[in-house]
Amino acid sequence: MQAPNKEHLYKLLVIGDLGVGKTSIIKRYVHQNFSSHYRATIGVDFALKVLHWDPETVVRLQLWDIAGQERFGNMTRVYYREAMGAFIVFDVTRPATFEAVTKWKNDLDSKLSLPNGKPVSVVLLANKCDQGKDMLMNNGLKMDQFCKEHGFVGWFETSAKENINIDEASRCLVKHILANECDLMESIEPDIVKPHLTSPKVVSCSGCTKS
Amino acid sequence: MADGLPTEFDVVIIGTGLPESILAAACSRSGQRVLHIDSRSYYGGNWASFTFSGLLSWLKEYQQNSDIGDKSTATWQDLIHETEEAITLHRKDETIQHTEVFCYVRQDMDDNIEEIDDLQKNPSLVTSGTLSKLLDSACLSEEMHSLYGTSHGISAKEIPKNDGEILLEVTGIEESQVKEKYYGDKTCIHTFADGDKDENKPIVEDNTDLPKRNRITYSQLVKEGRKFNIDLVSKLLYSQGLLIDLLIKSNVSRYAEFKNVTRILTFREGKVEQVPCSRADVFNNKELTMVEKRMLMKFLTFCLDYEQHPDEYQDFTQCSFSEYLKTKKLTPNLQHFVLHSIAMTESSCTTIDGLKATKNFLQCLGRFGNTPFLFPLYGQGEIPQCFCRMCAVFGGIYCLRHKVQCLVVDKESGRCKAIIDHFGQRINAKYFIVEDSYLSEETCSNVQYKQISRAVLITDQSVLKTDSDQHISILIVPPAEPGMCAVRVTELCSSTMTCMKDTHLVHLTCSSSKTAREDLESVVKKLFTPYAETEIDREELTKPRLLWALYFNMRDSSGISRSSYSGLPSNVYVCSGPDCALGNEHAVKQAETLFQEIFPGEEFCPPPPNPEDIVFDGDDKQPEAPGTNNIIMAKLESSE
Ligand SMILES: Nc1nc2c(ncn2[C@@H]2O[C@H](COP(=O)(O)OP(=O)(O)OP(=O)(O)O)[C@@H](O)[C@H]2O)c(=O)[nH]1
Ligand SMILES: [Mg+2]
Repeated sequence: MQAPNKEHLYKLLVIGDLGVGKTSIIKRYVHQNFSSHYRATIGVDFALKVLHWDPETVVRLQLWDIAGQERFGNMTRVYYREAMGAFIVFDVTRPATFEAVTKWKNDLDSKLSLPNGKPVSVVLLANKCDQGKDMLMNNGLKMDQFCKEHGFVGWFETSAKENINIDEASRCLVKHILANECDLMESIEPDIVKPHLTSPKVVSCSGCTKS
Repeated sequence: MADGLPTEFDVVIIGTGLPESILAAACSRSGQRVLHIDSRSYYGGNWASFTFSGLLSWLKEYQQNSDIGDKSTATWQDLIHETEEAITLHRKDETIQHTEVFCYVRQDMDDNIEEIDDLQKNPSLVTSGTLSKLLDSACLSEEMHSLYGTSHGISAKEIPKNDGEILLEVTGIEESQVKEKYYGDKTCIHTFADGDKDENKPIVEDNTDLPKRNRITYSQLVKEGRKFNIDLVSKLLYSQGLLIDLLIKSNVSRYAEFKNVTRILTFREGKVEQVPCSRADVFNNKELTMVEKRMLMKFLTFCLDYEQHPDEYQDFTQCSFSEYLKTKKLTPNLQHFVLHSIAMTESSCTTIDGLKATKNFLQCLGRFGNTPFLFPLYGQGEIPQCFCRMCAVFGGIYCLRHKVQCLVVDKESGRCKAIIDHFGQRINAKYFIVEDSYLSEETCSNVQYKQISRAVLITDQSVLKTDSDQHISILIVPPAEPGMCAVRVTELCSSTMTCMKDTHLVHLTCSSSKTAREDLESVVKKLFTPYAETEIDREELTKPRLLWALYFNMRDSSGISRSSYSGLPSNVYVCSGPDCALGNEHAVKQAETLFQEIFPGEEFCPPPPNPEDIVFDGDDKQPEAPGTNNIIMAKLESSE
């Protein structure tokens, strides 16, 4: 079925309360580094990660960080638009950030769904597990239950600092997106104009498309 | 939600309309610490777009808004020091007036259903009666109930049928329009008995020879409500206009997608026709004679460089453009095309302005498509948000639902130094940009406003049907009597992501002389026929049917000069709400002018670094050589 050298481009959102480690996770995953200095990333919408999924498939992931604004929960539609999946992150050392997880999930589901109307795949990340490992160990079952109830496709204990489980979490999310996509009709409108990509002379005219 | 909000900024911007949002992006981009706030719960102010239920909530808010008087103004007074003065800001928004809603489709029991999440919906059920049963009374929301429940003047009978089905027979067409007026009057709740048993069954049973049309009910509009993105202002982007240039230059365009407006239409002698505007259109046109085609081409070619031929128009600079056209060997047909559909000007406009407008139109042709206009996917309301995202990406902080009580002015310097928000929190900044609807009556006592008349219609077919039902059209309806304004009609199809399948979203706009309904209803009647009527009158079937309509007036503050506001410190800058024009030139000009005033010499919205330039390959962990990935930048340059 699959054509060789299949390329996929997915927009993924990284969401969660202030300081839970969203930017650190993206940095670790994409740039393979970690800094304990808290610093807002300026001027970058998303980081790009290229995965060689299998010999036939290349997956390009756009990881969209929440920009400064969005700390207060006022994300623009531009942020959500056409995302295929999301990570919701909380900080295992701060229970309040876990309590906010359902709020983030509900917010996400109310603003974003796949073209077929289904919710996007979301993986829950219990970050900073290098600091509070035992907090969740005993709660594994409860977490499974929580994910089932709230529609997460999976959860991982992660550490951006120690590079724990971030690749695994991403693989899990991509796996679900790929599985979902099989029943999604790829309906790319031919006559959409993207002014930044269209040079003035190349006019896509619906009347000229060959059938 | 806003705890932990910093209290020191360079620029505080109040209002998230288009000019404020462009300014926010520009300031943040040039390294300023920006706080951008809006008292509403959504982005865009009067530039916003809404889902169907969002629009109903918006209407409701206006109703409630007018009921709430000023209360609790005491708290902040204690926070003002002796060396300071306060300028209070407005508490209620008075920019929207005369809202009137008409519903022409059947309102059933399940009209009280909330717009449900796409997530819970099984699409295959939508048109079947089962869904309504599933949801019947399941989620009667108080809010929706009282909002939809109004039904003045409805005259409908329930007719029990033998098999237990209940169908509605509409009696008295004139009165069948369910009308909801939001003047704050008490409204009664009127619901029908369960009439949803068989949605697909036609009401007129022996109509087999009628063309098949999809039946749409009110509950469907509500259920599919998230498919709608209904703009409060109806504008388009000129493909060579200031906004598109700014979007490209700043690379904010990466957040937006557009569709070409596919047709320019005209309304003449009771008929909607397509206007030929490109060379190909002119030659393919079947309505025009060969002679007319040549005349039109000759005239349009002249307009493209009219400045080079002053002898052609010099003697007519004192006349109106319409007078001038009469001298140009154009048939009345062609004069009409040029005046209303190409120049899109009022008949009274001068020859020079008419030529200028015609030239602008022709220059915009063909940059992206066959007409000079683009429409943003998901609606015009996306555009301010694109600039807000850009601002945020450069560190700007956003707070919606954040009210500002007053500006704090330092008596000695006369400059504004802070705002006090509804938490009583003082937030300091150097510059303040305020959208004018936030200014108090006192500040605006000398200001005279114009008004815009708007109508939003949901219809079942296009005003000009062709093989495709996916056209985006603009139609100028000339004034019926001299002295009145031409009405601009924009018709959007579902692929613009602004309305549900099998419907069109139609926007009407003109500058007001009376209330929006008084200004626009006659045009609506010319182009559409109320939903119920067509069930009976077959002659009318050629016209699209009207499912739902909203009229409102919006304040147009675009022409107000800064000096008309009294008592504003020099570091407080004012942005205006939307204007009546088709393009967005006013907002862009205003933003750029204010930016240059505040930060002389700073570059206005330069392109940001491209995130795709930073690529790390997952396997070989080698960053790609810089420069190899500058595709977008390169393309950007090539589009100059
Ligand atoms: N020990 C430990 N510290 C972490 C980990 N991940 C992030 N941090 C630290 O947590 C702090 C916040 O991390 P960020 O990545 O900036 O968090 P964020 O979610 O992007 O924060 P905002 O953008 O402000 O919402 C920083 O000091 C990080 O060094 C982790 O896995 N372990
Ligand atoms: Mg961050």
